[in-house]
Amino acid sequence: MMDSFKEWYEGRHQYAREWKKRTGKKVLGYFCTYVPEEILIAADVLPVRILGSHEPQDVTEPHIFGMFCPFCRDCLAQGLQGRYEYLDGIMISQSCLHIRQAYTSWKLHVPVEFSYYLPMPHHLQSRRALPYLTGELEAFKKAVEEWTGTTITEEGLNRGIEVMNRSRRLTRALYELRRRPDPPVTGLESMRVVAASQMVDKREYNEALQETIDRLPERAGRDGSRVRLMMLGSENDDVAFVGMVESLGAIFVIDDHCTGSRYFWNEVLTDRKPMESIAARYVDRVPCPTKDWPERKRIEHIRQLAKDWNVQGAIVVQQKFCDPHEIDIPAIIKALKQDGVPAQVLEIDVTVPVGQFKTRIEAFLEILKQEDLF
Amino acid sequence: MRANVKGRAFAAEVDPRAKPGAPAAVAPAAAAPDGLEEGMNVAGVDCGAKSAKVLILRDGEVLARSAVLSGFDPKAAAAQALDEALIQAGLSRSDLAHVTATGTGKNEVDFASSSITEVGADARAANALFPAARTVIDIGAEEGRAIRISPQGKVIDFAINEKCAAGAGTFTETMARTLEVAVEDMGPLSLKSQNAVPMNAQCAVFAESEVVSLIHAKHSKEDIARAVHDAIADRIASMARKIGIEKDIVLVGGVAKNVGFVTSLKRNLKEELFIPPYPEYSCALGAALTAAERAKGV
Repeated sequence: MMDSFKEWYEGRHQYAREWKKRTGKKVLGYFCTYVPEEILIAADVLPVRILGSHEPQDVTEPHIFGMFCPFCRDCLAQGLQGRYEYLDGIMISQSCLHIRQAYTSWKLHVPVEFSYYLPMPHHLQSRRALPYLTGELEAFKKAVEEWTGTTITEEGLNRGIEVMNRSRRLTRALYELRRRPDPPVTGLESMRVVAASQMVDKREYNEALQETIDRLPERAGRDGSRVRLMMLGSENDDVAFVGMVESLGAIFVIDDHCTGSRYFWNEVLTDRKPMESIAARYVDRVPCPTKDWPERKRIEHIRQLAKDWNVQGAIVVQQKFCDPHEIDIPAIIKALKQDGVPAQVLEIDVTVPVGQFKTRIEAFLEILKQEDLF
Repeated sequence: MRANVKGRAFAAEVDPRAKPGAPAAVAPAAAAPDGLEEGMNVAGVDCGAKSAKVLILRDGEVLARSAVLSGFDPKAAAAQALDEALIQAGLSRSDLAHVTATGTGKNEVDFASSSITEVGADARAANALFPAARTVIDIGAEEGRAIRISPQGKVIDFAINEKCAAGAGTFTETMARTLEVAVEDMGPLSLKSQNAVPMNAQCAVFAESEVVSLIHAKHSKEDIARAVHDAIADRIASMARKIGIEKDIVLVGGVAKNVGFVTSLKRNLKEELFIPPYPEYSCALGAALTAAERAKGV
């Protein structure tokens, strides 16, 4: 039932190549979930998220500082190794310096016909953020029009919004099923679904997910005695890690990271002109810590998720050297602790030291289980 | 109840420096409650990174201990350690009511009836040995752990060293090699040090080149040996502070046998450290105590 998502996730490049051949349209690789896919879909461009391969590599050392995060290096390595050779364009929305370095290095060393830096504002809590972003999105739309030779109409934007919103609604419906005491999907399966949604044509994805959600209620639930966990972090498509944790009698039921719920949680509300509606969605969405300031809005959101999904413990997956996330950790742990949710922090790199992490996860689960007894 | 016990009384193993009254609580915690089968034998197997340790208990008393280097075959090492311990105890495998495994290779131990995490085993053992223990520091060959426990021996929080050998026993071995001294001489040597030399132990490989620099700068072996222990103690202490240190502090694991390191850690924490006589068997003891509980179905 979940196989197509796994195939898409594992065969992302093959899918994109075939899509391109089949449609004759352009494919754009993007580096951050603040990229407005609605506008790209309106121009019939396939947006695919550039993710790492979680394999050691030796090609990025001349281009990225040693103390930049492993994720940005892993992403750049994919470009330098020619794995995304089918891309016609690349783009980034300003989020953090590290991933921007991956983008600029890629642009320099792996030439493509179109590249775009979208200056996504940091201070989203300012009331000037929305008009600013709306203006930037208009400029981006023009650039896409020039690149593709198409005109993006209001109707096209509405279509982009509709496709994206349907995808968000469906993925949230999948997450809703995980609230059950016996979730019908594992964290590993859900992770592949969300990651696949960042890699394939949303219309195809929507059809497949709709069908899956219609059939999921009849699927036997996972054992209800599993420890219910939440995963918090930045970019976490580390399937080896998730699989390991879930093999120890736990199940991830909810998450807040950008290869998870943070990507799709908020819809575009169509109460204003399309471009402003799109901008408002990216201003108001669950924020990345780079933009969650001065008020930390994400923490209240995380607490609510933990409560609604009946979480017993949280695993904070900290990308090494990712300062915006690391700074939030003490505040997150404190807030969760107040709600009786213990948290365990693990620092991850490109590859996961499964043995060492296993020791920690086992001990953490043992604590969570003993809390039930006392 | 304690007839035909030839092993050492468990209570007698408690460090003489322990507070008065503390050891007394040990025996009842581990002894078979009334009405249950007497003379029940159980084993704890700690399948560690460097060696497999086995400890056999009968009604809360230690019958035998045995350690075998893990090498490439931790499973075989654990089996060998068990068989050696059984010979010491004059028992056979079928005499064991329950075997609980712990350690990095716990899932390799196919003859175990159950398993417990290293953190859980440490907590269990420390609580039985020193009921006043609230913080347990365990330093083995490849891993350093700090665990905060409740008065009931329940794990409250824990921290484990990251991908770095600087907070573990292997580090001392590497540094001993660089200094051309036997690893067991490192502790006594460092006690003779006259000067504290700062050393930044972020990584065993870089620390080795730092030791070489200290040698070139004509620092004495004694001072460098102390610098090595101070560096490990700094790593361990900062890890323990992350989870919050509460008294009493129990130190276990093979590295607890190194007087140089113990002195450095005490100096750093400015607190007394309680060390049992066989600190490297602490995890195996925790596993054996767990085996005893599970055998009784507690």
